[in-house]
Amino acid sequence: MNEVAEARITRRSRTLWQSIKDFVAARTISTTGILLFLLLATFLLWPLIAVLIKSIAGSEGFTLQHYKNFLTEPYYYQSLINTLILGILTTTVCISVGFIISYITTRGPRFLRKPLKMLSLLPLIAPPYIFALSLIILLGRNGMITKALNLNWNIYGFSGCVIAQTLAFLPLAYLMIENSISTLNPNLEDSAANLGASEGKILRSIIIPLLTPGILKAALIVFVMAISEFGNVAILSGRTPFLAPDIYTIVTGIEMNFNMGSVLSMFLILPCAIIFVIQNYLIKGKGYTTILGKPVAAEPRRINPAILIPFLLVAILVSGLIFVTFGVVGMGTLTNIVGVDNTFTLNHILDWRSNMALVNSLRVSLLSGCFGAIMGVLLAYVIVRGSFRARTALEGIALAGFTLPGTVFGIGYIFAFNRPPLLLTGTMMILVINCMFRFLAVGMEAGINKLNQLSIEVEEASLNLGASTATTFRRIVLPIVFPAFMYGFMYVFMTSMVSLSAVVFLVSPGQNLASVFIFQWANYGYIGLASATTYKLIAIVGASLAIIQALSRWTGLRPTAAGGGV
Amino acid sequence: MKKILIILLLVLLFVGAAFTTGQKEAVAAKEKLAPFITVYEGSGSVEIGGKVAKFIQDKLGVEIRFTSESHGVIHSRIKAEAPNFTGDMALNIGFPLMVEAKQKGWSVSYDSPIWRGAGDVWVDKDGFWWNQGNWAFVLVGNKDLLAKKGYTLPESWDELLDAKWKDQIVMPSPLTSGTAYMMVYSFITLYGFNTGKGEEAGWQYLEALNKNVTQYTRGGNVPSDLVGRGEFMLGITSDEMVMPRIRGGYPLVYTVPKEGIGFGFAGAIILKGTKKLYTCQKVIDFIGSTEFCKFWSELAGYVTKDPSVKPALYGGIPRYIPNIDQGWAVANKDRLLKEWKKRVGRAPR
Repeated sequence: MNEVAEARITRRSRTLWQSIKDFVAARTISTTGILLFLLLATFLLWPLIAVLIKSIAGSEGFTLQHYKNFLTEPYYYQSLINTLILGILTTTVCISVGFIISYITTRGPRFLRKPLKMLSLLPLIAPPYIFALSLIILLGRNGMITKALNLNWNIYGFSGCVIAQTLAFLPLAYLMIENSISTLNPNLEDSAANLGASEGKILRSIIIPLLTPGILKAALIVFVMAISEFGNVAILSGRTPFLAPDIYTIVTGIEMNFNMGSVLSMFLILPCAIIFVIQNYLIKGKGYTTILGKPVAAEPRRINPAILIPFLLVAILVSGLIFVTFGVVGMGTLTNIVGVDNTFTLNHILDWRSNMALVNSLRVSLLSGCFGAIMGVLLAYVIVRGSFRARTALEGIALAGFTLPGTVFGIGYIFAFNRPPLLLTGTMMILVINCMFRFLAVGMEAGINKLNQLSIEVEEASLNLGASTATTFRRIVLPIVFPAFMYGFMYVFMTSMVSLSAVVFLVSPGQNLASVFIFQWANYGYIGLASATTYKLIAIVGASLAIIQALSRWTGLRPTAAGGGV
Repeated sequence: MKKILIILLLVLLFVGAAFTTGQKEAVAAKEKLAPFITVYEGSGSVEIGGKVAKFIQDKLGVEIRFTSESHGVIHSRIKAEAPNFTGDMALNIGFPLMVEAKQKGWSVSYDSPIWRGAGDVWVDKDGFWWNQGNWAFVLVGNKDLLAKKGYTLPESWDELLDAKWKDQIVMPSPLTSGTAYMMVYSFITLYGFNTGKGEEAGWQYLEALNKNVTQYTRGGNVPSDLVGRGEFMLGITSDEMVMPRIRGGYPLVYTVPKEGIGFGFAGAIILKGTKKLYTCQKVIDFIGSTEFCKFWSELAGYVTKDPSVKPALYGGIPRYIPNIDQGWAVANKDRLLKEWKKRVGRAPR
């Protein structure tokens, strides 16, 4: 309750009953807040602290020896540099191309908008390392294109990693940029065009400045993904060192050097944290709203061909590449050994060994989706309506889970939860908890956006008219935040189905997840089975999303992030 | 409001389904086979792991829920989980883990009647581990690529140092693969100890070989896939997937070079704390049977304890590099790995 509300209530005749109710209402929010804080502290902060502690833990007391080892060995230095360059290159290309495609799908020719959008978003429901598979099939030393053009190159190295990561995280960049571009009011551009501004001028002085916060946000997420989701990199890096796959090798391999793994993790966090701070600094005070009245651009403005044509070329080229990728992996699914023995076979598709993993994935993702969305929305409510000071901290911690490398949360969970009272390693629960806490920020952000649209006075009115807090929440708040809940659910569900970087450290025998399963098969040389399982995973995620879409159409409650969000 | 309730109900249904489909595990009686056991399988091949699981299930009626990873990965996994293991037993794991598990008390002993008198190589004298088979590494090549260049598959490890193989050889990394560690200690024995020049000469061979190696893979049998698919011309690979891959249509050729090949033990342990001890013991009994040895050596080409079984890959006992000391290899593992990292894996090329 804020001060205005309290003042208004004091003005009324204040019965004892009402003040008790009031007290409870006020406390409900702070108690929930404290509870949520404890949960976030346990499952997001503690694993991070555990990694930090491991990185300075010596045989007796604390030591900086591990850091010294890192800084004095040229191999690690090379690994760090490679990781940074990979991140920067991937982010730059993803953001530029993502912007170009979203410009075409929101401002370009109408008939192209839908197909381009569908193709660009397709990879979101596939494991990111699908691109490593297709690159090997196409551009490997014995790949189709390599053979057809008689090329002599090596895809196993830096260039392969950059190409694969770029294609893998382009959809994410596109999704976020398109989200912010669609909140811009085209009238502004039309006015500028009518006043004689050139297309370039409109892009430069209207669209790009207005999009800056969205673009920065997208850049941060893509950068983090590019350096931490290591499926592609582990399969394609050859002998080029990168931090994230090295963490995987050091922690799960023969050395099992948790200290060194933690040090590498700290160096993986460092650039993310720096960018996080810079981004927040740059965004400060730049929240633009251009939704004044309804955007009514009946006829799309004609884009100057000098800009339209190159933009179109890029968009079509990239979506073509995505299309080819899925086609090639489909070929891998249906041929005996793609590239070697191209006879048609259904053996890979009819191989049911991945069933258990697929069921587990579905189970884990449904659970983490539900709990993640519920908790995200609760967090949003507490942050928007609460009056205690730690609100920003609460939001910050939740965002940290989302904006820090998954690899770190994977090993952090091993350290934090491998002994009583929180002995969770080896259980299915640790996978659920890991996924829900890492991604709940998405539901939270969407919820905050939604709640900010609803004036608190509606709730006060309801309370003053005698409705209980519970009723008010159920009748007023819930319908408002429900789309945010669905959005959060969809995101957590989808990402949990395909994400690899954290859960790969946490699966145990008999409880494998599909994403890890496919990664292992691809890594151990079963392209056919890996491709087939990828397709099954895509089918499951696609079907689930379709069901949710159908449900929301039926109920008229569309999952939305309400502008902003991710 | 109604609609929201309907959706919430559906969601609850989903969640309920997710919970109830959880494991319904009946507590197995002492002298009764459990319906399933959870197993770490060390072949690093879902295919082999799956076939072994199915064979045991068909014969014993026990479902084997397994995870397949490289020896090195299984080793660190078990080390990390100690003393609360999620698995009941481990199959086809490397000798270093068999030894460490005995030393650290991670495994339990069992006097299996079928393994009695098999000899020190095959069963631990105190009954803490059982050697399912000696596995080894071989040299493989891609038939088509070799023919195209007019090369033949080398018959000696020395030939691999020839500059014409630059960036054409692929082998596993000892940081994750037990096979690769076997290669390291085998080449050190061959070029170091057996020539009388000492360990240093062995390292020099590995360093020279490194110049031609294009990448070090995570799993020991991955080179047979990469070479089979024509990504690289030559591979040094563990033997278990060579036969299945040739049968599966890969254009692979393999050879045991004239100096011989290295070998290691791949065996089973029962993990301490299992609630299904009786079932695990039955599995141990079963993998000591001629029936299993035959299956195992046909599937993976391993040399098993049963002399009547001829391993499919070699047709008999292969030519081994003489004087390989498995005990020395286990005792010096950490040191050799560190050295490998410094001189080979992370050395600037």
